[in-house]
Amino acid sequence: MILTPAITRRAALTALSASAVGYALLGPRPERNRSDGRTVLDYWEKWTGHEGQAMLRVVNDFNNSQSRIWVRYFSMGGIDQKAMIAIAGGNPPDIIGMGNFSIPAYAECNALEPLDELASDAGIKRENYASAVWPMLTHRGRLWGIVNTSGSLALFYNKTRFKQAGLDPERPPRTIDELDEYSERLTKEDAPDLKQVGFLHMEPDWWTWHWGYYFGGSLYDEASNRALADSDATIRAYRWVQTYPERLGVDRVLRFQSGFGYYGTPENPFLAGKVAMTNQGPWLANMIKQYRPDMDYGVAPFPVEASIYDPSAPVGLLDSDVLVIPRGAKHPRESMEFIAYTQRPEVVEYLSAVHCKNSPLARTSGGFIRDHPNRYVSVHAAIADSPRAFVFPRTRTWEQYVAEFNAAMARMWTLREPADNALASVQRAAQAELDQVADRRARRAKAAGGAT
Amino acid sequence: MTTLPVAPANRKPQAAGRNPAVSDRASTLTGLLWISPWLLGFILFMALPIAMSLYYSLTDFPLLEPPLYIGFENYTGLLTDSVFHKALWNTALFCILFIPAASILSLLIAAALNQKLKGLWVYRTAVFIPSLVPIVAAAMIWLWLFNADQGLINIALRSIGIEGPNWLGDRNWALPALVLMSLWNIGQPVVIYLAALQGVPQSLFEAASIDGMGPLRRLVHVTMPMISPVILFNVIIMTINTLQVFAVPYIMTEGGPDRATYLFTHYLYDNAFVFRKMGYACAIAWVQFIVILTLTGVMFTASKKLVHYRVA
Repeated sequence: MILTPAITRRAALTALSASAVGYALLGPRPERNRSDGRTVLDYWEKWTGHEGQAMLRVVNDFNNSQSRIWVRYFSMGGIDQKAMIAIAGGNPPDIIGMGNFSIPAYAECNALEPLDELASDAGIKRENYASAVWPMLTHRGRLWGIVNTSGSLALFYNKTRFKQAGLDPERPPRTIDELDEYSERLTKEDAPDLKQVGFLHMEPDWWTWHWGYYFGGSLYDEASNRALADSDATIRAYRWVQTYPERLGVDRVLRFQSGFGYYGTPENPFLAGKVAMTNQGPWLANMIKQYRPDMDYGVAPFPVEASIYDPSAPVGLLDSDVLVIPRGAKHPRESMEFIAYTQRPEVVEYLSAVHCKNSPLARTSGGFIRDHPNRYVSVHAAIADSPRAFVFPRTRTWEQYVAEFNAAMARMWTLREPADNALASVQRAAQAELDQVADRRARRAKAAGGAT
Repeated sequence: MTTLPVAPANRKPQAAGRNPAVSDRASTLTGLLWISPWLLGFILFMALPIAMSLYYSLTDFPLLEPPLYIGFENYTGLLTDSVFHKALWNTALFCILFIPAASILSLLIAAALNQKLKGLWVYRTAVFIPSLVPIVAAAMIWLWLFNADQGLINIALRSIGIEGPNWLGDRNWALPALVLMSLWNIGQPVVIYLAALQGVPQSLFEAASIDGMGPLRRLVHVTMPMISPVILFNVIIMTINTLQVFAVPYIMTEGGPDRATYLFTHYLYDNAFVFRKMGYACAIAWVQFIVILTLTGVMFTASKKLVHYRVA
């Protein structure tokens, strides 16, 4: 039997108290105090690589341009989850860079500072921006974010493959029928497998939900809070989508797709020449510059159903990154001062050029288009200015809507379910979510004793 | 020569007439004081959040707004949620495929490693190394192993005239592919089985041989009963872990194709952090807890007849 010295309560209390005091005095603490007295702002952003470096340069320029505010730039992944938890925990950063599709959810939960007054004081107005931009920043009549960069989707096509197939490389398809015809001519086999295809809707599979827009449809009516997944136009669109695996063979298409490399690598199927046409944003030009600078390619508005073709009003998704000030941010005025700095035309044009994107501003300088590293930026700009440019549906249930669409698209693409049925199930699920959110909103308002 | 330790000279002798109960209470308090940092951490970071999650499961809680009490609506919603049913079914299927296969395979490997072979340490290390590989790294490697066109598995199958499936792109093969990948990582149960096998007294085998038992009967009537407590332990731990599997399907298939690999915990995560329905996610978590608790209870009850504990 081994006896140990008695450990008294006094010894225990002393040891624990000393640890606690030591932690309180010497433990870790956030470095938000500067010796020069500047107000420190924390800016969380999702960009990495050259996009992140460009934004960091903007931050450094701002910091060097004045002596009252110091912005700390933090680049991170999973920014949606981190932002949500930080805001819920009452300790958010001062500025967050998020996707514009997040605005409805955050706005309805009062998780963001409304920016109407702050933006107005800073001279930021709707007229400053391309027509499709401002609706992305607002929700239910209030302004919640300011655009950082934006880009519209367009058809990228491989001119070399066009020439090899006997197609005019300066005459991209304009209608859905032409796209089908071109795609068929651009498809090559290495029997029994596919070697090259003209076009595949699931490459990339980032926007499984947007094909209906090219047939004149949409997915959500904000006024009536109705999902529109099973509208006639959308059903026509997805019946068209299904003609591709029907024609090429489901197994062959899936096997062909399984050999695609990742988006951000030289094995990207468009860069590797496996897919001759793809619907992508202007950022693809950066990838081409990096991995296939010799690629002979063209960009045009994505084809639409013949009955709605209008070259003066191209159809395309306008996506954008936005800067928001979360609820609980300690320095909203200073944060808006930084955001306003990022909205200076020269800053916007610099960032847009580095990202290879079109500018979200209504007017650009003479040299912006001329000197832009993306030689097709004018195509993207025309789409952004078009009255038929569309944005992510402005609903807080968007993530659930997309999840249903992704699952339905998997069934439609493998021909396990006809488009009508698949879209009907998306409609049911999406509408149920919308109705539940509306019901809960009403109950919260009742519980709070106020108006919705 | 053994020297008995002597109590320190400065130790206070117990006062005559001192109440032993008081001394015990003081001793208990001192012990609690020493473990108070852990206790505080447990209460703050485990017990309290668990209790809060039970409350949140009765609310609509988007995390960015305060919770709104809605009673049992989250639980009744689960009854009609087809996606939840799908996730539950997928998880059950994953368990049915994985647990028996992993148990049998790990036992067989442990039995093989229990032999006197040259270079045994190499085989034992090789079996355990997958447990040390980070799951994300392993998932990325297996993504390419399973590639329908250029993956090594299909290349090997093609070399013997078999056309392999589109493992992760075919909804019929995606879940079995994940099971196969998970079977690569059974180092821990193997080590536990190996220890159990090595703990079976040789005298029992000798007695069984003398009684005329062949290898198969010795396996069934000596080895298995002797290691049955360890089998129970491994099966229970595997069940608990498998019902909560998340990383592998999340990384390799993102729940697809068409939710064929959409499992319980992934659906819970999506509701909590993607759909911002933390209340609903808490309800799912509590259902998961009840399922695991029930299954564990059933296994313990069934074990009374099947598990033999040695009498000391």
